[in-house]
Amino acid sequence: MEVTLGQVLALLGAAMAVFLPGIGSAKGVGMVGEAAAGVVTEDPSKFSQTLILQALPGTQGIYGLLTGFVVMQRIGILGENLLPLTTYQGLLVFVACLPIAIVGLLSAILQARAAVAGVGIVAKRPEEVAKGITYAAMVETYAVLALLASILMLFGLKLA
Amino acid sequence: MAIVKMKKMYLFGLNEERDKIVGVLQKLGAAEIADLKEEDIDIDITEHKFPEQVGNELSKLELKLSRLKYAIDFLKPYGKELNPLIYGRPKTSREKLQDLLNREREVFDLIDSLSGLDQKLSRLKTEESRIRNQVELIKPWERLDIPVEELGETGSVEARAVVVSKKNFKAFRDKMAEKELAVEIIPVEEGREEGFLLIVYHVSAKSDIQEVFKEFSVDTERFEGFTGTPAKILAELQERLKAIETERQRIKAEISTLVNRLLDIKALYDYWFVERQKKENFMKMAGTEKVFLMKAWVPEPSVGAVKEAITSVTSAAHIIFTEPSEEDDIPVVLSNPRLVQPFEIITELYSLPNPREIDPNVFMAPFYFVFFGMMVSDAAYGLVLSLLSGLALWKLKLKGMGKKLVELLFLGGISTFIWGMIFGSWFGDLIKVKPLWLNPLDNPLAVLFLSFGLGLIQIYTGIILSAYKNIRNGKIVDALLDQGLWLVLLTGLVMMAFPNLTRIAKYVTIAGAGGLVLTQGRSQKNILKKFISGLLSLYNVTGYLSDVLSYSRLLALGLATGVIATVINTMARMLGVNIFGYIAMLLVLIGGHLFNVAANALGAYVHSSRLQYIEFFGKFYEGGGKPFQPLRIETKYVDLEV
Repeated sequence: MEVTLGQVLALLGAAMAVFLPGIGSAKGVGMVGEAAAGVVTEDPSKFSQTLILQALPGTQGIYGLLTGFVVMQRIGILGENLLPLTTYQGLLVFVACLPIAIVGLLSAILQARAAVAGVGIVAKRPEEVAKGITYAAMVETYAVLALLASILMLFGLKLA
Repeated sequence: MAIVKMKKMYLFGLNEERDKIVGVLQKLGAAEIADLKEEDIDIDITEHKFPEQVGNELSKLELKLSRLKYAIDFLKPYGKELNPLIYGRPKTSREKLQDLLNREREVFDLIDSLSGLDQKLSRLKTEESRIRNQVELIKPWERLDIPVEELGETGSVEARAVVVSKKNFKAFRDKMAEKELAVEIIPVEEGREEGFLLIVYHVSAKSDIQEVFKEFSVDTERFEGFTGTPAKILAELQERLKAIETERQRIKAEISTLVNRLLDIKALYDYWFVERQKKENFMKMAGTEKVFLMKAWVPEPSVGAVKEAITSVTSAAHIIFTEPSEEDDIPVVLSNPRLVQPFEIITELYSLPNPREIDPNVFMAPFYFVFFGMMVSDAAYGLVLSLLSGLALWKLKLKGMGKKLVELLFLGGISTFIWGMIFGSWFGDLIKVKPLWLNPLDNPLAVLFLSFGLGLIQIYTGIILSAYKNIRNGKIVDALLDQGLWLVLLTGLVMMAFPNLTRIAKYVTIAGAGGLVLTQGRSQKNILKKFISGLLSLYNVTGYLSDVLSYSRLLALGLATGVIATVINTMARMLGVNIFGYIAMLLVLIGGHLFNVAANALGAYVHSSRLQYIEFFGKFYEGGGKPFQPLRIETKYVDLEV
């Protein structure tokens, strides 16, 4: 089978959608984990509260994987026949991946910083953990919006 | 439904009956005793040693509690506790408690003997670590078969056990050889970094040798306090270690026989804990030599019960119930239908309503319910959530916040199930069922518009509630001009989206916008300023726009669940090639879907809450209420029957 530049570009988009937010989430979850471990040393009963905060910056990686999967599905890599994409079609797919790839990477790290501050709330006033969660969730909004933009673009493209 | 009305109670009583009266209130658990310090009262409490005397009683209680607590913590590792989440807390009857109080001296004697045993254990531990250190020190000399007391000077010959670091060893030896001293070096043992040597020399060489020792920093081992060969010493030390271990086991066995008293100690602790809570409230009262004055908050429905309880123990108390005044900081307690109660936790985690506004729970609950389900949106996941949380509610003895949270998950599961049916998603695409409406993957835009629609409904509700609040406070003009005109403008803008309504929409929008420009500056004095603030107020449209767009997360998170479920299914299907593949497939399916349920339930909880906090509460809700915390019987370990 002949491989077209379009197919390579589309797959590059899918790969970026997976690995950039993945890096961001890994870094973010790691940052919150470090802070949480410090709190749990003092008071192990705060594990579940800090775990929720740690999970928050992990969603960007999932959104990225999801976008990558939608691309794979759309270009037919999961079935038998990979669509013979033109260069422009491939570029379109690539561009559609950009929102979640870039916003996912950055928002995961920034959200993690808000979550680390939330861990500070848990340390001093564990009853106010919901406020810390909300602060971190505010950041996630933009990852959700980017995901939505990417997915709507991907669903809107006519590739066949 | 909503915030329960509070009454302010003042009570005059006799000091000698104070304990009885507060005790009966504590048993009832319907009154929060408030501090009188801020009130302007004509009683000079400093003259009478009221707080001081209470303080003394409290510190005595504190001492008792700390000793009981010590015993509980000390005994804890020796006994097995039944998990209170599954078996509930142990109960202590009134007779048992009375009996315990009579035998209190004996319990405290028991605690004394426990702390004696504790000290013994820690002494054993110190000795053990000392001996272990000695063993470490002597171990390398095991092969030296000279009794250690024979080392040192014996006439004209000296024998020394020395330690030299390995890297110096060769140089040390060469130096000795070079100086041609009358010395014999016998290696005893080689450690990882050090060599252990026996050195025998003639006294005449002593000063030279000591110089060499200094040069190569050689240490002499003196075995102070020991006699016999190192092997014998080691054997003795090991013997002692064994003896220590036996002694420790004996003490632990002794402690284990006392573990059955743990429940008694806990019951006693709880009794005094409750007593302390009661006495702490005495500090908030005022009094003279004979009488005391108390202020308390009582929810209106409990007023009768409180009166009855007090009159049942005394006839010499004067009670007054009044309406709270404007500046009173009234504690807040909510009363909602059973179905709405689990949602209270969402508001509580944000902030309780302040006592002079509306309780948002009834309005928030339906939105939360719908949004939660829409974000998870898988029928099978909904069933799993409801089944698991239902099981937890049935089998576990949950209380307070935890119970509300699990109930919330149960309701969320139901909503998730409904949305899953609407979208035709059962473990993603694992079980193919025709959707009641459509599959969001086929037509995401339709679901996006549905999300915006739901968001608009919630935003409208928020604006209307804000108008209601204004009307309730008598600001009818504000309600009409602020919230009313915005509703008109927003309605116009929404109508624009429908092609066949565009013409009317134009007029509605212009009417709304014009009204706002003309009225929003009404607090300004200057006519020009009035106009400018009116015009600027239109900028708030962007706020409403971003609010509506924020609801797109309903679609996005719903899609996320579905697509991840599909990914899991696809991965699992790829594995199903042979028998091991099928097992792996099953594991991937179970693990993957469980992970997806957990991750998305968390996401749905967080984002559904956010929509309430920012988009909904932002419109009308103030919060900042102080929770009603009645004096009641609150125990830590057991359920007391008092």
